[in-house]
Amino acid sequence: MGSQPNLLEKVIAFVDERVGLKTLQAKMLNEPVPGGSRWAYIFGSVLLFIFIMQAVTGILLMFYYVPSADHAYASTQYIIHEVDYGWFLLSYHFWGSSAMVIMVFAHMSQVFLWGAYKKPREMIWLVGLALFGIVMGFGFTGYLLPWDQRAYWATTVGVEIMDKTPIVGDFMARFLKGGATPGQMTLSRFFVIHVMILPAALMGLAGLHIFLFRKAGPAGPFRGTPDELKAKTDYFFPRQIWKDMVAMGTVFATICSLAFIEPVVLLEEATPDPGEYHPEPEWYFLFLFQLLRLKIFAGEFGQFLGAIAIPGVFMALLAALPFIDRSPERNIFKRPVALIGWIVVMATILIFTVSAIINREFLD
Amino acid sequence: MTDQPTQMSPVKLGLAVAWPAFWTGMPIKIVLALLLLAMGQHPWEFPGLAFLLLLSIPIDIWAVGLSGRTVFLDRLGVEPPASLGLTLWWQGAALYATYGSLACFLERQTITGSQAVVAKILDLELLKAIPIAERISIELTAWGSVSAVVLLALTLGGLFLFGKLVQRQANTASPASAPYEARVHQWDLMRVPADQPLMLTVFTATGVALVLLLWAFMPVTTPHPHESYKQDERKTAPVLKPADALHKAERVLTQAEASVQALEAKAKKSKGKAAAPDKKAAAKPKKA
Repeated sequence: MGSQPNLLEKVIAFVDERVGLKTLQAKMLNEPVPGGSRWAYIFGSVLLFIFIMQAVTGILLMFYYVPSADHAYASTQYIIHEVDYGWFLLSYHFWGSSAMVIMVFAHMSQVFLWGAYKKPREMIWLVGLALFGIVMGFGFTGYLLPWDQRAYWATTVGVEIMDKTPIVGDFMARFLKGGATPGQMTLSRFFVIHVMILPAALMGLAGLHIFLFRKAGPAGPFRGTPDELKAKTDYFFPRQIWKDMVAMGTVFATICSLAFIEPVVLLEEATPDPGEYHPEPEWYFLFLFQLLRLKIFAGEFGQFLGAIAIPGVFMALLAALPFIDRSPERNIFKRPVALIGWIVVMATILIFTVSAIINREFLD
Repeated sequence: MTDQPTQMSPVKLGLAVAWPAFWTGMPIKIVLALLLLAMGQHPWEFPGLAFLLLLSIPIDIWAVGLSGRTVFLDRLGVEPPASLGLTLWWQGAALYATYGSLACFLERQTITGSQAVVAKILDLELLKAIPIAERISIELTAWGSVSAVVLLALTLGGLFLFGKLVQRQANTASPASAPYEARVHQWDLMRVPADQPLMLTVFTATGVALVLLLWAFMPVTTPHPHESYKQDERKTAPVLKPADALHKAERVLTQAEASVQALEAKAKKSKGKAAAPDKKAAAKPKKA
């Protein structure tokens, strides 16, 4: 006769009987990974980790932050200078948002290069694109909250770009600003979108994204014979989890290091007069900002073309990608158009981002 | 399924060992750099840098050995020789010291030279009308492309030389006797130990310990105060030590008691004198 179960085992058995804990655990951990675990598959898990950390640091910051035009700047300064470890939490939250954007780009690139958007994974790709938009929205709305000159003018530039969208642009710009110039209404709306609407949307869509992923299963590597893939096929636990954990630890340490090296330092409090400050958006919108400085994008129509039409067409193309590219070939080295297209897009983003940084010298 | 050491190109072989080795060592180095930062030491300034470089040596030997053994077993089908990590590390370090320095010098010269040439071309009268934003992007694309091509060539050269070092080790190794599945299992177990829940527990515990260390070292208030932010100059209350306070009170009371007694004695004395007044004083008239 076996030994009697202890209290913990009894509790687990009680919960298991009612919610099927062991079945859930087996389903979560015993997912087969064709071709075995890979470092290329870490990006999704790392994104989830960054989001959880952003939520934790964001909630801690909300204990002290006051979302009013009169107190937002002072309360942010208070967080930096008076609250214990407040400077670190704010800097972590700031760098975490950049890490999230980089990870989204890395994740999308991996899915694109691996051809993992193809049938039967079209829905995962579409939901992923919506999540990309939400991450960008987080960056845009969060940037205003410290209420310094950088925040105020980045938002002004962003809302002006949004205003150029046909039909809905004017409404969107007026709704976000809540007045002629950014003020209390703008801050309140951005705050609500940042801490209520976007997190709820992200949680819902991320859940759907993971559900669809588990339904279709991992795509696996694009190279290798069936025998090789079979020999290396493994379960999600423990090797992929190990890789995910190492990646999360590395990303955490990198964000912490950046918070130490370059902590958040506010500019002057926001005023409708830019003074010496040259308005510019966050670094991940810099390439678009620099693109709009080119002569071909001058004038009302040019600005519409550069700010709305080209990015809009690009996003529409990305959404239509699984339906345009119907070939079952996944090997990126046998898809020259896709490979060249990816290199061109990445090089354009890099060149125009660096150009925008060089451009600052000429403005100063 | 496996490549012969002599058939695989040295560039491919060098990349197959160096790339995973870099990423294997990287997380540990980042954690060390972070702890240095929390302690107020910059990892790229003298004491911090020396400490990090010194600690990187065993990490790199381990990482190169791990990825080298994997490539030998999985890709080349040969038994990895003993001390493969150490051999590849010191040979790689010597290569980096010589070829790496030369490559850095050449790349710097290329950047400076191409920037100067591009600037001269764009200063031509014909091209002076180009607006500033366009000029910046054209300049960057032109010198960036030249520098990127040279950097790529130099990197390939470095990988070729490192691949040759790996190839030399592989050529002297004996063929692996186990079937492919067994070798996959063997190199996989080199990366993840057999007792996986224990490994995950140790990893989590190490993570928690490192986070606690980080919080212990981290400054409580910002090391970068804002120039216009005036911090509250709060006067902190002195620390109360109960025993000292009691002794002090006792001393004060004793002193007070002594003073009272002295005053009482003085009062008594003066009362006695008042009972027998001085005749001279009594005769002296009081001033109004």
